[in-house]
Amino acid sequence: MKVKIGILSFAHLHAEAYVTALRAIPEVDLIGFADDDAQRGERFASQFELRRFPSYEALLEQKPHGVIVCSENSRHAPLVNMAAQAGVHVLCEKPLATTVRDAEAMVAQCRKAGVHLMTAFPMRFSTPLEVVKARLDSGELGDVHCFNASNQGELPKKHREWFVDKTLAGGGAIMDHTVHLVDVMRWYLGCEAAEVYAVANRIFHADEVEVETGGIVWVTFENGVFATIDCSWSRPPYWPSWGGLSFEMVTSRGAVLVDAFKQNLTVFSHTLQRPQWAFWGSDPNQAMLSDFVRAIAEDRPPRVSGEDGLRAVEVVEAAYRALELGQPVRLR
Amino acid sequence: MLRVGIVGAGSMGAAHAAGWSQTPAHLVGFLTETFDPNLPLAQRHGATVFRSFDELLDAVDVVDICTPTHLHASMIVRAAEKRKHVVCEKPLALSTQEALRAVRACREAGVHLLVAHVVRYFPEYALAKSLVDEGAIGRVATLRLLRGSYRPRKPVGNWFLDESKSGGILMDLMIHDMDYARWIAGEVATVFARKITSVRPDSALDYGLVVLQHRSGAITHLAGAWAYPPPTFRTQFEISGDCGVIIHDSQATAPIESLILRPAGNAVPEVGLPSSPLAEDPYTTEIKAFYHTLVEGAPSRVTPEDGLAAVQIAEAAVRSAAEGKAIHLEPISV
Repeated sequence: MKVKIGILSFAHLHAEAYVTALRAIPEVDLIGFADDDAQRGERFASQFELRRFPSYEALLEQKPHGVIVCSENSRHAPLVNMAAQAGVHVLCEKPLATTVRDAEAMVAQCRKAGVHLMTAFPMRFSTPLEVVKARLDSGELGDVHCFNASNQGELPKKHREWFVDKTLAGGGAIMDHTVHLVDVMRWYLGCEAAEVYAVANRIFHADEVEVETGGIVWVTFENGVFATIDCSWSRPPYWPSWGGLSFEMVTSRGAVLVDAFKQNLTVFSHTLQRPQWAFWGSDPNQAMLSDFVRAIAEDRPPRVSGEDGLRAVEVVEAAYRALELGQPVRLR
Repeated sequence: MLRVGIVGAGSMGAAHAAGWSQTPAHLVGFLTETFDPNLPLAQRHGATVFRSFDELLDAVDVVDICTPTHLHASMIVRAAEKRKHVVCEKPLALSTQEALRAVRACREAGVHLLVAHVVRYFPEYALAKSLVDEGAIGRVATLRLLRGSYRPRKPVGNWFLDESKSGGILMDLMIHDMDYARWIAGEVATVFARKITSVRPDSALDYGLVVLQHRSGAITHLAGAWAYPPPTFRTQFEISGDCGVIIHDSQATAPIESLILRPAGNAVPEVGLPSSPLAEDPYTTEIKAFYHTLVEGAPSRVTPEDGLAAVQIAEAAVRSAAEGKAIHLEPISV
C-alpha cells in the first residue's frame, strides 16, 4: 500500500527537510502541498518540482492518508482541525500550538475524528537519546535527580520572519526552544511537569526583534526531579551550526552528558572562512517521518502523540505566566 | 617584614602557605583545631604552631583564615579588634548578617579584609573578564557557569557535608561562580535555586542549579556538582553577548591527556581542585596580589563588599532552594 502524504504550508523551514525525507521513504506517495502564501508556494513548487494545490481544501479533497502541518505556530490549530474533519492523519510541527486552549481543542478534534495527531518531536528518534533512554530503563544509570539542559540556537529570523513575530510564533525563544527538552524529560521520566518558573531578557538582537531572545525555563516534575532549560537564541550567526540540544542528567549514580548533535565533522573551508560542523549522525527527522508513515500503514498510534505536544505547550504557557509573576507557577 | 599566621591546615591552609612562601612575607606559624606541635605543614614551612588564636594574633600583622566557614566571622571580628589585617577563605561568612559584621569590624579598625575568591585569579577566568571589559562580545546577555567535582571526603571532621558549617553545595562550591558572575555582569536582583539534597536529603551526591537575574538584565545560569567520580574536577563557562561569545571548558583545554595504564600513586585528594598546568599556581597569584595590597596599598581585585555580596547571593540561593521561591535582593549599605 502506498501512503499518500501532503504538506500543509511551507511557513516552517522544516517543510523543506521533510520533502527530502519523505521522498526517501519507498512507501510514501508525496502528493504535493498547499500554501496560503502564493509567492512562497511558487518558489517551493519549482524548487522541489512538487505539485502545488490551490488551497488546503483542494489538497484534502485528494484524500491523502496523512498531512504534515508546517504553518506558522499560531496557524497550526485551524489546519489541524481542518485535516481532522477531512479524516486525515496529522503530523504537526512543534510547538503543537501557542496556547493550551488551542492544543486541547486540536487533541479533542483529532480524537473525535479518529485520526492520529503526532507532534513533531524528532528528539524521540535521536539515536543517542534513544540509547540513553534504554540505559535508563535498564536501571544501569540509577534514578534521575535533575537535568541541566540547553537548546540554544541562532536567531531563526534569517530563515523566516514570522519566527520572531509574537502573534504568529506565539512568543520568542521560550516558545521556540522549550518544548523539545520538556518532551525528552517527560519521555525519560514517565511523569508530568508540576511547577514552572522562568526568566527571560531581550539583549541578543535587541534592535531587531520585539520578543524575548534569552531565557531559562525551570521545570519541576511530579516526582521531584528538577530541570533548567536554556532556550536562548544566543548562538551568533557565525557559530559552526544552527545551535544544538544537550543536557547533563544527574542521577543517583553520577551524571551523564548527552549531546544530540555532537556527531559532526569540523570543516574549515576557503568558502566559509569559519569552521562549520557537518552532522554525520543518524537523521532523527527521517526516523520520525518513517514512524508517522508506518503508524498509518500499520494502523497503530505513532510514537509521539498530540497529548505529548499539549503537555509541552502547558509548560510554555506556564513559563510566560511565571515571567509575569516573577514566581513559580503550579501546574498540577 | 610582614608577618603572617594561618588558621587551619587543610587543603586551603596548605595552598595559601605555598602562596605566602613565594612572597617576601614571613609565615610565622599555624593554628589548628587540635594542637599538634609536629604539624607537618608547619615543619615544611619552618613555622611555629600556636596554641590559641590570640597567641597567633599577637605574633603577626596578617591573619589568613582557612577554617570551616561558620568560624570565619567571629575570627575576623577578633582580628580586627587587635588591628590585624585579614585574609579570609571564601565564603566570607555563612550569612549576610555575619558577613556585614565582619566587613564593618575591619572597616572600623582600618584593616584590610581580603576575601580569597581565587577564581578571579585563575588565568582563564581573568582573561575572559578582560575580554568582556574590552568589549569583545558586546553587552553580556547570558552566562553559563559550571563547577563540578565529587563530594568532599575528609576522613575526619568532614564539615563540608554539615550545612550548618559549610552552607552546603550552594554556599561552599557555587559561591565561586556567583562571585564571578557578579564580577562579569554586575549586581544581582533575583535568585532562584534548587539542589538535590533539598529534595532528597539522603542523597549520597549533590548537584545545584541556580539562576540569577542581574540588574543589567543579564541572566546567569550556574551549575555545581558534588556528583562526579573522583578525581574529576571540571569547570566550564560560556559568556554570550550581543556581539559574540566566549567559551571555556577545562576538559577540552587540558593540554595533557594521560592514557598510562594503572597510574601509580593516584591518591584522590580530600577536596577536588582545579589543576591545569601553569607556571604559577592561581592560589599563589592570589596571595601575591594580596601581599601587594597589604604592603603597597594597591587596590585589590576582590573588595570586602565583593565578599559580602557573594554571601548575599549564596544565602538567597540556600533560601530559594529551601522555600521554592524566587528571592529578590535588596542593595546592602555597609
